Amino acid sequence: MILIGENLNVMVKRIGQAIKEKYPKPIQALAVAEAEAGVDYIDINLGPARKGGEELMEWVVRIVQEVVDLPLYLDTTNVKAIEAGLKVYKNKQGKAVINSIMCRPERMEAQIPLVTKYDAGMVALLWGLEGMPRDAAERGALTADILQRATDAGVAGEDVWVDPIITPVNVQQNQLLECNKFISELDMIAEIVSPGCKSTCGLSNVSNGAPDHLRPILNQTYMMILEKLGMKSCIVDAFDEDLHEIARGTRPEITALVHRVVDGDEEGIADLSHEAQEYVKTAKVLLGHSLYSDSWLEL
Amino acid sequence: MSFEIPTISYNGVIRQITVGKEPNCVTVGGESCYPFYLFEGAMPHLPRIAMEVYDAPPEDWPQAALEPFADVVHDPAAWAQKCVGSYGAEMIALQLASTDPNAQDTPAEKAVEVTKKVAAAINVPLIVWGSGNLEKDKEVLRMISERCAEETLLLGPVEEGSYKALGAASLAYQHTIAASTPIDVNLAKQLNILLGNLGVPDDRIIIDPTVGALGYGLEFCYSVMERDRMAALTQEDERLQFPIVCNLGKEVWKIKETRLSEEEAPLLGDPLKRGVLLEAMTALLFLLAGGDIVIMRHPDAIQLVRGLMNELMGEGV
Repeated sequence: MILIGENLNVMVKRIGQAIKEKYPKPIQALAVAEAEAGVDYIDINLGPARKGGEELMEWVVRIVQEVVDLPLYLDTTNVKAIEAGLKVYKNKQGKAVINSIMCRPERMEAQIPLVTKYDAGMVALLWGLEGMPRDAAERGALTADILQRATDAGVAGEDVWVDPIITPVNVQQNQLLECNKFISELDMIAEIVSPGCKSTCGLSNVSNGAPDHLRPILNQTYMMILEKLGMKSCIVDAFDEDLHEIARGTRPEITALVHRVVDGDEEGIADLSHEAQEYVKTAKVLLGHSLYSDSWLEL
Repeated sequence: MSFEIPTISYNGVIRQITVGKEPNCVTVGGESCYPFYLFEGAMPHLPRIAMEVYDAPPEDWPQAALEPFADVVHDPAAWAQKCVGSYGAEMIALQLASTDPNAQDTPAEKAVEVTKKVAAAINVPLIVWGSGNLEKDKEVLRMISERCAEETLLLGPVEEGSYKALGAASLAYQHTIAASTPIDVNLAKQLNILLGNLGVPDDRIIIDPTVGALGYGLEFCYSVMERDRMAALTQEDERLQFPIVCNLGKEVWKIKETRLSEEEAPLLGDPLKRGVLLEAMTALLFLLAGGDIVIMRHPDAIQLVRGLMNELMGEGV
C-alpha cells in the first residue's frame, strides 16, 4: 500500500500561518518529518487558495523540494495554482500528482492537458455533474469516462489515480458498500482503456463522526480491506504508526484474518483473542455484514 | 427447468412484546417475514391502532379532526372512553402536549393525575407520550413511571438524552418504553444497545423511528423502517428485533393540506375527507414499512386502515 501524507494542510493552524507569512521553517520541518515517518508521497493541501494561489503553490513546492526528494500531490481546487506548482516542480523520485480532477466535462477539459504538458500524474476524483455517485455503477460510468479522456490525451494508466470517494460508515454505510464493490471492479473497468491505472482515497473519512477513540481501528481495518479489494494507495496521517505497520505488512496475522472475513470465511473466529475479534467485528461492519452503531465492538 | 419464485431467506424474528396490564394487555410483534409477506412467514399479531387523547383541549385543530370529539375534549377520561366505546380503540395514546414549556407548561403532578384518570376509565393498554421537550419529558415521564407503577404503560419518547433517567424508571416500575431516535437506523440500533447495557429487558423496548406525514418526508422514514426490518430479519441484528410504534396522527393533522379550508384551497377537495385520507394513507404506508402500533386521530381514517389491513391479511373487508 502506497501512503500519501496528509499533514501539510493549510487547515492545520501552524501550517496555515506559516503559508500566510511565507515562513518556510515549519513547513520544511513537517515535510522532513513526514519523509522520515516513511510516507511515499507528500500531499500539499492549499484548500481553495483563491487569493494568490499560484504564487503560494509555487513557493511551497520550491521550499518543500529544497528539503525532501519525495514526489508531491498538489492539492487545491484552484486550477491555475496547480499549474504554477507543476511549472516549478522537479522530478527527483517521481512525478507530481494533480489532486484532483473531477469528472465534470469543464474540469477534465481544462486540467487533463496539464498532465501531459508537465508529465505529471492525476487523481481522477469520481465527482460528476450530479455530485457524488450514488452506487458502484455510477462510479464505474464516471471512471470509464475520465479514463477514456485521459487515454485520449496521452496519459498513461500508471499516472492515473482513481479516487472513489469514501463515505463515513456511521451515516453512509450503504454508500461505503458501493464504494467497496466499485474498488473490487476497478481493475476490470480500467483494463480496456487504461491498463495499470492506480487508485487512492482519503482513508480517514471512513471513521469521520465515529467516537474518537474508535477511529484508529476503523481506519486500520478499512485499510486492510481496501488492500484486499485492490486499492493501491491511501492518503493518511503521516504519523499514524499503526497504519504504517499495516501498509508495510508487519501485522500479517491480523491482516490475513481481515482478508478471510472479506472472503466470507469465518471459521474458528469464536476462538480468537479479544483483539482479533475486535478486528473481525470491525471488518463485518465495514463490509455491511452487520449494521453500524457506535457500540459495534461491545456486541 | 421449472420457474421458482424467489424468496427472501429470513434468519431473525421480531420480539413479541406485551403492552398493558392483565387482563387488558395486547401483544405486538413476532413477525418472521417482511410486513404482510404472509407467503414467506408469519405475522402472529395484527398491527394495532392506538387512538389519541390529549391532556388539554386542543386549540388549533382543523374542524375535521375536532368534530368527532367536540363533546369530550375538555375531559381526557371521557375522551378515552369515547374512543374505546364508540370507535373501538384497541389502545389509547395519551399525548401530554400541554406539558411542553412552550405550551401551557402543565406541571408533572397534573400530568400524573390525568394519566391516572384516563387509565382508570379504560380497559385497553395505555400509551403515554411526552411533549418532546427533553428536560420536561424526563421530569414528567419519570414521575408518571413512579406514581402509575401499577398500570404497565408504554412510555415515550425515550431519547438518547433521557434514556438513563427513563430507562431506569422503566426498569424499576416495569413499563415498556418507546426508544426514539431521529429517523436513523444506526442511531436506533445504538439506543437499543444503550438501553440493554442499562439493564432494560428486551421485552420492554419498542422502536420509535420518528415519523413524518405523507408529503413531508414520509419516504425517508419509510426507508429507515425498511432498513430496520432488513437488519432485524435478514442480518440477525438482535438490537433491532423490536416492534415499531409510529406516532403519526399529530404529524398528519399539523400539515397545511389538512388545515386549509375549501375556500383557501379549492383544488384540494373536501377538507373533511382530505385529512382523513391523508391520515389513512400515511398510516397504511407505515404499516407496510413495518409499523406494529400506529397512533392515529380520526375515527374514519382508522376505519379505513382497519379495512385495508384486513384485506392485506386475506380476511376480506
